[in-house]
Formats: sequence, structure tokens, C-alpha cells
Amino acid sequence: MISLQNIQKVYRTSTIETLALNSINLNIKKGEFLSVMGPSGCGKSTLLNIMGLLDAPSKGDINIDDQKLNNLSDKQLAQFRNKKLGFIFQSYHLINDLKVLDNVMLPLLYRNSSEKERKQSASEALGKVGLSNRVKHFPTQLSGGQKQRVAIARAIVGKPEIILADEPTGNLDSAMGNEVMDILLHLNKSEGTTIVMVTHDEHMAKKTHRLMRLFDGSQVQ
Amino acid sequence: MFRHLFKLIWNKKKQNFLLISEMFVSFLVIFAVFTLLVYYYQNYRTPMGIDYENVWVVNYTNSYKTENTDSLAQFYETLRQTVKSLPQVEEISFSSENFPFSMSTDGDGLVYNKSREQVDVFNVEDSYKDVLKIKVLDGRWFASQDAVAKERPVIINETLKKKLFGNENPVGKLVRFDYDEKTKVKVIGVVEDAKVKGDYVKVDPGSFVRLDTGSFHQLGNILIRISPDADASFEGHLYKTISNYMKNSNIEIEHLVNKRKDINYFSLVPMIVLSIVAGFLVVNVAFGLFGVLWYNINKRRGEIGLRRAIGASGKSVSVQLVSESMILATLSLIIGSFFAVQFPLLNVFDLPAGVYITAIVLSVIFIYLLVFICSLYPGKQAASIYPAVALHEE
Repeated sequence: MISLQNIQKVYRTSTIETLALNSINLNIKKGEFLSVMGPSGCGKSTLLNIMGLLDAPSKGDINIDDQKLNNLSDKQLAQFRNKKLGFIFQSYHLINDLKVLDNVMLPLLYRNSSEKERKQSASEALGKVGLSNRVKHFPTQLSGGQKQRVAIARAIVGKPEIILADEPTGNLDSAMGNEVMDILLHLNKSEGTTIVMVTHDEHMAKKTHRLMRLFDGSQVQ
Repeated sequence: MFRHLFKLIWNKKKQNFLLISEMFVSFLVIFAVFTLLVYYYQNYRTPMGIDYENVWVVNYTNSYKTENTDSLAQFYETLRQTVKSLPQVEEISFSSENFPFSMSTDGDGLVYNKSREQVDVFNVEDSYKDVLKIKVLDGRWFASQDAVAKERPVIINETLKKKLFGNENPVGKLVRFDYDEKTKVKVIGVVEDAKVKGDYVKVDPGSFVRLDTGSFHQLGNILIRISPDADASFEGHLYKTISNYMKNSNIEIEHLVNKRKDINYFSLVPMIVLSIVAGFLVVNVAFGLFGVLWYNINKRRGEIGLRRAIGASGKSVSVQLVSESMILATLSLIIGSFFAVQFPLLNVFDLPAGVYITAIVLSVIFIYLLVFICSLYPGKQAASIYPAVALHEE
């Protein structure tokens, strides 16, 4: 499903070069739930950004569904992200000026779908995360756990095959973190969604199919 | 997408209020400038109605002190013949102070039936028409037999004809001036409108009254049509001829071409002042808009990063931000147009409705262009935001 071959990422400034990722080779099967762990600054988020086509590697190839993605245009990459990928972030990234339903509808705005279809899909997605009663709320009226559930609903509304979650439980207490984790596990199990999750939480990582550890930009396990 | 943008703008109405207000005020100022511009342009495009080239005006003070009207008339008749005998002089006519481009007016009310119009009154001689090559559209110009006419003759211009008589033929109709309510005067002709107050000022209703010999007590101007080959040496010769004849009189010769330039410049002063004020305002608004949009983009980096992540291309982010500005501009223009449209509806300043409508359309285009240009660069900057970096910042 996802194949990274010899991925290297170097950040360059006028004075220094920082090697963020070094020769990463990774294959993730369809329906797999992979967690990525490692200390801060080891390159976890960089790896996720590269997988999510939000950042380009300095070297190496990315293939998703046997499609080589290195040379796609900005527009093609955007379309690919919209159809195939869903993102969940530690700080939710909800738009506070839009209601919950509108936030969840957001990815569908960049598709050819009607307002009615968008609303229906967003309502279904909110139903899956147990927030059907919060559609008219603004994000500022929700708890952290609820916000992350809205972010999950936004990630799954377009029915993507892959979800990339960057420390989804990082800002939540253990009860809320478990709630969010349960939703992700359920999505993986019931809908076969491939999930890659960056986490610092060993306990959460153990619930996934496979654990990958990074240290100083290199794969150690 | 527009529905989504409307929601976004509506939910941020407090933040957007100032921006809308700024665009609204700019629209009103630009509307005022365009109204004046369109009005001036429309006036500029109308025909001049007279031939002022090669016409000089001699301004004099009456040095022949006498109470005897006949001898005064004889004195000026001799002057007329003397000047007219000069080879470069084609025609000569004594005139009241309000000759073309003089910045002087003489007005009165003219009444026909129950209608009354405020009119400019020009006291002229029979030769005035030939000096300025005025076109008679209907009826006739003054002639010597008018001196003994039963009713005193008056000639009107097209504007007065339309206002006072509409589609009726005014020739032969009796009217009266406010200053002499008991005496009726008879319209004997209609002449083409002449822009005697300059190129940019609309033609007012005008009437021409024939000078009589007694008028020389008050007159002080002679209009002279000279041949195209007349030069500075002839001007000197003319000056000497007149000053030799009118001892102790202050004499000044001016060219109507120069008088026209002066009066045009004078008319343009308010336009220039308003344009400078509007220019400053527009520059301020442009910088303001630019700054606010730039600030908004920096504040919304997280949102922009998110949009990129979930499927927006750089171009669509740019289009979204420009579209948001254009929607804000539309809202301010709707409010602005509501106020602007009251001007033609309430006939404020007595300008034609077409002037206001044209000014509204031009102002709308101008504001849209201004907002579009000011949004382009911040929009482009937004498109270049790197999503991975922007998402990490929040």
C-alpha cells in the first residue's frame, strides 16, 4: 500500500545542514495499523509529512498503491491527498470560525459534490465518532477529546484509504486518549483503513499491529 | 465554495467590519471623484457653440464723460469704424461684461406662462453673432429693424428653449423678465448652446438682449474678430489706435483663447483638489487592505496548511483568499451603491442621472480592481506557504 524506498530528508540553511531522515525503507500493507515512536526531533513528523505528501524527500521514492508520487504537480498532489489520505493532528487544526459540521465538510469542498451530499457525509462521519449532537457547535465550545473526534470525522469524511495521525492523543488525558484510540482501532478493524500513527505513548503504540522506532532520523526497529 | 466563503466571512463579521467600512468609505470618495469626472467629461464633449479662436477682447474704461447718450453713441460709433477699418479686423462688437470665458455673469428670471427659469442675460450688438460665429437654429438674429420693434426682441439658447418651452416653438412667443414684469419681450430666435463658462461647465439657460445706444454708459468691452495672420505687432498697433482715440482710458487686450485656458483651469481646481484627496485615500486604503490581508494570512497559516493537507492546491488557496476579499468588497459596494443611488433618485445637485449611474459603475469597477490588486500578492504568498511547516507551527 505505502512503500518508502531509501528516503532521505535534509534541511539546509545557509550555514548548516540537518539530516532529518536517513535511508528509511518502509512498506506498509493495506489495512495495517503502524505506530511510529521515537524521541522528540528524531524525524517522526517529517516521516509522516513525507508519507502525507506534505513535504518532499531530498532523496528516495514514495509509492502509494503502486503509484510513484515523486514527480506529481502541486495540483495532482492536492487531489491525491484529498482522495486517498486523511490527516489527524495533535493540535486538531479545526477552524474556529466554522461550526463542527462545516469543519467536517471541509475536505469535500475540494471535490465535485453537492452541498446536500457534503452535509450527509459529514453527518455520517460525526455519527461514527459519536458527535451527532454537536454539529452546530463551534470548536471553541468543545472539549479536547471532542475536538479530536471532530478532527477524526474530518479525516474520514472523504473515505480515504490511509489515515496519517500525528500524535492524536498527545494533547488528551488518558481517558480521552483511549476514546480516540478506540475510534482509530475501530476504523482500522471495521473499515480496513490503513493507519500510520506517530506517538510518544508506548501503551497506545502497543495496541497497533506494528511499531517502528526512529532515532536521529534512522530506523532502529 | 462561495457558500463556504460567505459562512467564513459571516462568522468573522466583527473582524471584517473594519475592512468593509474602509472599502465603503473609499467607494463613496471615489464615487464623488468619478461623478465630477464624468460630469466634466460630458460637458467637455459637448460642442463649444462659438468660434473663439482669433477673437480678442478689448477691455476699456469709459473716458468720454458725458450725459448725452447720442454724443456717447457717436463717440463709440467712430471708434468702431476706426477699428474696423484696420485691415486685420474682420468684425467688431461691443459687449456686456459677461462675454465668453470672462468669469462674469449677469442673470435674471425669465417667465413664460407660469414657468420661470433663471437665465444668463447677454447684452449684445447685432454684430456679436458674426464675431463669435454663433449658429442660429430657429428664427433669426438681431437686425437694425429691431430698434423700432413694438415688442423688445430677445433671443434664447437651446437649453432655455427646452426648459421653458419643451417641444413648443418659442419663436414669436411673448415672455417677460423679472426686472420688468410689465413689459413683454418677444422671442425672435433660438441659437445653439455656447459653453461661455468654459469647457467643463454645463451650459445654463441663456438669453440675448439687444444693446441700445444708451447702453454705452455701462459697457466696457469690445470683442474683435481678427484675421488669422494678425500678430503681436498688430496687437500693438490696435492698442495704439484705441488708446490714441480714448485718451486717459485704461485699455487692456486679451485673447479669448487665453481666457478659455484660464477659466478651464479655474474650473478644474476643485477636481484637482478632490483627486489629490482621493489619491491619498486610495493609497491609504490600498496599503491598509494589503496590510490587513497580509496580517490575516499570517494569522491563518495553520488554516492554510490544513486546507493544503486536505486537498487544496496552492492556486486554490490563493483563489480562496482573493475571493474572500472580493466578497468583502461586494458587501461594501452593495451598501455603498445603496447610498450612491439616492443621488440620482433624489436629484441631488441637479446633475443628470446618467452621470451618477456612470460614476457608480466606474467606482464599482475601480474598487473591485483595487481590492483585486491588493489581494493578489498576499494571495500568492498564501499559496507558497509550506503546509508541513504551517501545520507544525500551530
